[in-house]
Amino acid sequence: MLRHLSPTIFAVLFTLALLFVIPWLDRYATYLLISVAIAAIGALALNLLTGMCGLINFAQGALMGVGAYTAGNLGNAGWDILAVPAAGFVTAIASLVIGLPALRLRGLYFGVATLAAQFIVDYLFKILEPITHGVSGLPIRQLRVLGIVIQNDRMFATVCVLSLLLAWWAMYRVKNTDLGRSFLVVREGEIVAKGMGIDVAHTKIWAFLISGFFAGIAGALLGFNARLADPEAFTLGLSVDYLAMIIVGGLGSLTGPLLGSLFVTLLPEAIQRVAESFGIASLLSALREFTFGLLIIVFLIFEPRGLSALFRKLMFQRDARNRKKASYLNNSTQQPQGEETK
Amino acid sequence: MNFALQLITAGLAVGSVYSLIALGIVLIYKCTGVVNFGQGGFLVLGAYLTYALRAAEIPTPLAVVGSAAGMAIVGMAAERLMLRPMARAPLVAIMMATLGMMILINAVCLMIWGSDQRAYPALFPDGALDMFGIFITYNYIAAGILSIGLSLGFLAFYRFTNLGLMQRCTANNTKAALAIGIHTGNQNCFAWSMSAALAGLGGTLLATLNGLSLGLGSIGLAAFSVVVLGGLDSLAGAVVAGLLLGVLQTLTAGMLTPILENFLRAYTSVYSVGALQQVVPYCLLVVILLVRPQGIFGRKGTERL
Repeated sequence: MLRHLSPTIFAVLFTLALLFVIPWLDRYATYLLISVAIAAIGALALNLLTGMCGLINFAQGALMGVGAYTAGNLGNAGWDILAVPAAGFVTAIASLVIGLPALRLRGLYFGVATLAAQFIVDYLFKILEPITHGVSGLPIRQLRVLGIVIQNDRMFATVCVLSLLLAWWAMYRVKNTDLGRSFLVVREGEIVAKGMGIDVAHTKIWAFLISGFFAGIAGALLGFNARLADPEAFTLGLSVDYLAMIIVGGLGSLTGPLLGSLFVTLLPEAIQRVAESFGIASLLSALREFTFGLLIIVFLIFEPRGLSALFRKLMFQRDARNRKKASYLNNSTQQPQGEETK
Repeated sequence: MNFALQLITAGLAVGSVYSLIALGIVLIYKCTGVVNFGQGGFLVLGAYLTYALRAAEIPTPLAVVGSAAGMAIVGMAAERLMLRPMARAPLVAIMMATLGMMILINAVCLMIWGSDQRAYPALFPDGALDMFGIFITYNYIAAGILSIGLSLGFLAFYRFTNLGLMQRCTANNTKAALAIGIHTGNQNCFAWSMSAALAGLGGTLLATLNGLSLGLGSIGLAAFSVVVLGGLDSLAGAVVAGLLLGVLQTLTAGMLTPILENFLRAYTSVYSVGALQQVVPYCLLVVILLVRPQGIFGRKGTERL
């Protein structure tokens, strides 16, 4: 079945199908597609750092903010589509700066350091008025691609979906390089990694750079989508949302962040529908938070490997025999993810 | 000079409350090895419980004790229902679960009490004490004395009672504790309930100083800088670091901010530095983590394979 298809081909086909569908989507569906695609890029970025390399990052929101502000300023200065990768590079540097303490700290202490970074960067967004326009937010002009102004949501959705494909493909490639494998070893044990001759500092620096780059791209798209970058959008809450995505989806896998972002983005919408139909719309935000918190805990307790593990179970329980065979043929991509995290 | 002393006394009062909250975090960490990011949730819930009890015309001392007792039960429930089933989960997962708990508690508070800032009932009489030209309101005095008293009482409890001994034993070496017949599961549960009760009391005291809203929970995260500053495994360190941080914050708000703003207005186009005192803990945290990650009073752990 799906297992025999190369993941890259599958991803390309899936993207093509999505692009084909976009012209028929209504406004709301397009909005959802854009939200999910951007969230998925951000979640893939965080997953590389937290899921694969084992570095807990509470500053994802701040990093995406850096991306949004950079892209906003460059876009307003007429940088065309180049504003997006440029935002990626700037955010990669920011991510490296935030991550530098990680070369000395590990586990919990590093998590606390990124928490501090989140608050400090968030504060900087508010006070560096010449760059960020302070609390009122930075208005951003429409994104241009090679001189064409992206005017409507459908065109923007196309850009987002293509970026997602690129991000996913980059992650997929990285995962199967020496670097990707050394991420996993560093996650399992730094001393073990050192013993195997892996340069731990070097590995971590690359994890920050790559993760930061894609976080910046997600942030840039977020900025161009909202046409505004304001500090309230990039708080700790956003970081927690992204952590929830990769955990609910399944840490360390490549399908996990996609499923997780789908889930976490669509959940509030679903709750809104339910709340409206029961006439309790006033409780909406509380209800959303409640379900969100509860789901995080329930997932962590009952299915720590996340949706991707559930998905795998449902998808492939029929051809269990084939799975064994396929895992021989395609060992590197098919091993169950997240099991090692135990 | 008087102004600085005024700020320092206010800072000591606020800082003592931080100590109380940080004690809770250290307690859980020592005993169970879990870092509770959800302490802010306990904080808010404790404050709202006192508010609700006061609103039901229950006298102040009873309301405060009642809310602490309620929080102890909440803490116990958190340990039984959430932490125990995931005892062997990786660190990321547990950290995230405690954050999930905080989101959950905040949502419950939002559902019941709404998001508006509430006028907190006066737990202590109004007015101020004039001490050699330094004015301190009774609120600050009461908060300071209560939290220092509680912290000391708590440390004494750990040092001198049987239960405290068992707690220290569990914290020090869980396997050895099991071998001499201590029910470590119960000890963990007890640590969580104590921690939640402390956080609840801290939340109540903070609400009397700053008013009550859901934003109070963010102090639970600021308390992390206190914990790391003092050393994650040091109860005494948490107390000292809390006082230090409180003073630092009030001094920043009262003295550093105006100076800095004047300077920035003169030389740059930045007009205001905003709530600098809220960021100071985190700046301090980064510095501490880089210079001395084990904290002032902490011991450097050895790493095993």
